[in-house]
Amino acid sequence: MAAGNDRELEEIRIEYLGRSGRLTQIFKNIGNLEEGEKKSIGLLINESKNTLQKLIATQKNKFKETAREWFDPTIPGEAPRTGSLHIITQAIEEIAEVFKQIGFIRMRYPEVDWDWFAFEGLNFDKNHPARDDWETFWLNAPESKKYGTMLLTPHTSNGQIREMQREMQREMQREMQREMQRSKKNLPIRMINIAKCYRRQSDISHTPMFHQFEGLVVDKDINITHLKGVLDYFAKAYFGKGRVTRLRPHNFPFTEPSFEVDITCDICAGRGCRLCKEGWLELAGAGMVHPNVLKNGGIDPKKYTGFAFGTGVERVLMMKSGLKIPDLRLLYSSDLHFLGQF
Amino acid sequence: MNIQILDSWLREFLKTKASAKLIAKTVSLSGPTFDRTNAVKVNNKKDWIYDVEVTTNRVDAMSVYGIAREAVAVLSQSDIKARLAPLNLKKDKSPAKSLPFTIVNNQKLARRAMGIVIENIEKRNTPDWMRVRLETSGIRSLNAIVDITNYVMLEIGHPTHAFDYDKIKNKKFIIRESQKGEKITSFDGKNYELPGGDIIFDDGEGEIIDLPGIIGAKNSVVDENTRKVLFFVDNSSPRIIRKTSMTLNIRTLAAALNEKNVDPELAEIALLRGINLFQTVCKGRIASKIYDNYPNPYKTKTISVSKKFINSRLGIDIPNTQIKKILVSLGFTADLQKDEFKIQIPSFRASDINIPEDIVEEVARIYGYHNLPSELMATSLPQPVFNTTFDFEAKLKNLLVGHGGREVYTLSMVPAKWVDTKKALELKNPLGKNSRYLKTSLMPSLIEAAQKNRGGKEPFHIFEMANVYIPKTGQLPKEKLTVAGVFFNYPYREAKGIIEAILKKLNIKYFFGAEDMAGFIPSKRVKIISEGELLGELGVTESDFIYWELEVEKLRKLTKALARYQPIPKYPAQIEDLTLILPPKTQVGELMGLIEKQKYVSKVDLRDIHKDAYTFRIWYRHPSKTFTNKEVEKLRNKIVGELSKKFGAVLKD
Repeated sequence: MAAGNDRELEEIRIEYLGRSGRLTQIFKNIGNLEEGEKKSIGLLINESKNTLQKLIATQKNKFKETAREWFDPTIPGEAPRTGSLHIITQAIEEIAEVFKQIGFIRMRYPEVDWDWFAFEGLNFDKNHPARDDWETFWLNAPESKKYGTMLLTPHTSNGQIREMQREMQREMQREMQREMQRSKKNLPIRMINIAKCYRRQSDISHTPMFHQFEGLVVDKDINITHLKGVLDYFAKAYFGKGRVTRLRPHNFPFTEPSFEVDITCDICAGRGCRLCKEGWLELAGAGMVHPNVLKNGGIDPKKYTGFAFGTGVERVLMMKSGLKIPDLRLLYSSDLHFLGQF
Repeated sequence: MNIQILDSWLREFLKTKASAKLIAKTVSLSGPTFDRTNAVKVNNKKDWIYDVEVTTNRVDAMSVYGIAREAVAVLSQSDIKARLAPLNLKKDKSPAKSLPFTIVNNQKLARRAMGIVIENIEKRNTPDWMRVRLETSGIRSLNAIVDITNYVMLEIGHPTHAFDYDKIKNKKFIIRESQKGEKITSFDGKNYELPGGDIIFDDGEGEIIDLPGIIGAKNSVVDENTRKVLFFVDNSSPRIIRKTSMTLNIRTLAAALNEKNVDPELAEIALLRGINLFQTVCKGRIASKIYDNYPNPYKTKTISVSKKFINSRLGIDIPNTQIKKILVSLGFTADLQKDEFKIQIPSFRASDINIPEDIVEEVARIYGYHNLPSELMATSLPQPVFNTTFDFEAKLKNLLVGHGGREVYTLSMVPAKWVDTKKALELKNPLGKNSRYLKTSLMPSLIEAAQKNRGGKEPFHIFEMANVYIPKTGQLPKEKLTVAGVFFNYPYREAKGIIEAILKKLNIKYFFGAEDMAGFIPSKRVKIISEGELLGELGVTESDFIYWELEVEKLRKLTKALARYQPIPKYPAQIEDLTLILPPKTQVGELMGLIEKQKYVSKVDLRDIHKDAYTFRIWYRHPSKTFTNKEVEKLRNKIVGELSKKFGAVLKD
């Protein structure tokens, strides 16, 4: 009685231990025995059954051992082609998400716009350096009587007036619809505009095309403390909960007062190091919306106030990731050796 | 603008016991920013160099004295004792016999021009203390006369200039606009051709002897033989100064200050301080009266602001006494009349303080932005905007990435050869000829990007989502958001399959139509069409890439977030593979379209191609029963018959 493989072993098991197997049969006949023999025979059968079961199990494992197929589970996986979002896209999505959490709607405005939306309407002096040929790209296109020269937007701030006008237009439509009801609705603006911008500069820390994001809040009773609140929220949500911001006086034509926003340096934790200014890094420009800008957006500056802030997507990305990109122009070089790293 | 000054110089005017570090830290929060404070040894004495950033609207603080004035206001508010030492400049009596000089001004060009003749210039060596201060501020020491002019500029904040009085033929300046093409040689020997409309000093005979406010001329410069100096301070039109300085690329500190609207009242202080230094350093003697051409002296400006206005912008309540104290510390006068402050603006702030909000800024910054609380506004939320494109764009990009796409960003500005110059927007002032036009297609940029990466054999798929700019007469261009990509070393079917997979995922019905187009190899391009609209294209380019392009806005309109629900079929389909021999140049897409149109055919796939044998898998399905083999045979025969008639296809045995 010898089994050569799993199947033969199973046959043996059925022959002896199966429902009509030999041992089972013997056990069934135990009733026919004398009382005295019953017990000793019963014990004998059980013992044989246990021995057989053990033997079969051991033999089964032996078969498994020898029948095992050779397989190398450590062989490297075959990689599918993986794609990647550009790091600027990744940063933009992350920034948009932060502001979405505090009720900002995301908008987009023209990249090619009129001087009026980028400068004149934003209270820039006619002779402001940003308006000359060395800083802003101008287009060879006929001037608009109403809005002046065509340009490539040097900042996302053209979205300020465009957003105010969009909201005011809606406000007017609302008025018409509810003529009877005398709409008392306030006009809250809480907008974030993330877009491509262009400036006439190209060196290791400047690219002629770059990205900015700009927030605008307009409502009754908006004051500096609210600007601080939003900036602190962004700093913590985007950079980490330990980070804080501070405002310093600055100067922009379209805000009054104007601020520069700093954030604590993460390298030295605010103690001051080679990379920062005494523990602080410049994060953004900000300010309370200049009354002339509100007026140009069709909003009464006596009733409403607002704040705005803006900064470079590239800047916050570099600051957050600690990426030491030696030349920012790499971002727009389409070099897969570079882009493949992210 | 950044200026570097020594702590010991600052402390001549800023009287405080506060340490350099404390001054820097405190003032930075409310005034000019002290970017860095570094310890140095000057003549064996410990000192500090401050690197201070002053914003462009605050030219009044771009000097040692100006920073001291700001520092006193800020430190006092922070309970640090500080006091501003006065300049103590006296006007000496004019000599009985004045050496002559005439200024012929054009008040559109110069708001103020003043000068004085100093004779008996003996000492020409710059004393050590002056040389060190200039050099730490980044100014090269030349000789005492020139150094004094620079020293005054750094200390007081108004640029000044010294002429050799004897070199000025007619003892006269005519201030006039230059003609285009007039020439000048600067004091350091460089030749410039003027663009025209620049402010110049004419000696009365048509010769230019200075480019005031920007750089001195060689023909009037002081030298080792100079005995008499005409010390001159001119306050010229900031706009013209900026234009000339930028056009000629002469970026002197003087020009940088003058273009920012320096206070004409300061000209006199600078002049007096200079006279004082010529007397003490060069042993010079006053040889003329002060010539001063100042057509429109400053008239004090007054602004009214209510306490309520200030506090509503700040978000906290600051007491009247504190508001007043802050304003006075900055050189304003503030009269409180019935909750309203009548504030008089000093001349040195006249150009940047114009409206009540400017006063809010002054109060707020000196009070300290860091002392204000930080709170999210509890106002109502904006009206939501639905159907924005951002989520769709992200979804589309993520689909491409999921199929191995690598996103790139290329510049919006492209060379002329990449556009039809009659149908593209041209930049007036491009950075170079390779970025002269706004792109009208993503194709050239992406092909170039692919060329750069084609070094290896490794296949890749790059894509970009960006605007192209289509000019419109009299309006802003249409910014057409486009998504496009380039496959390198991909089999055609795989590349096309990816684009199809994406369209399917967006639930967009589409079909392809072969159509030739420039840039693609003949008969290797299809247009992609959906619901009668041209969505884009795909094809093999002449440079042997596979290029595809889709218009994002159209995709967004056609996409359905969810596929329509289709009842799950009750009866299984009969599936069979059919191998057909196709004649050369058969368009398989069209052939499959025909199969798909047949009744009871629910789906058809191309499974395999072997030479001219094409294997198709066909699903036959009836809504209310399972087809028998016999019924399938009938359907099959009909299909094969039609294919044979239309395409000459033959069933392989």
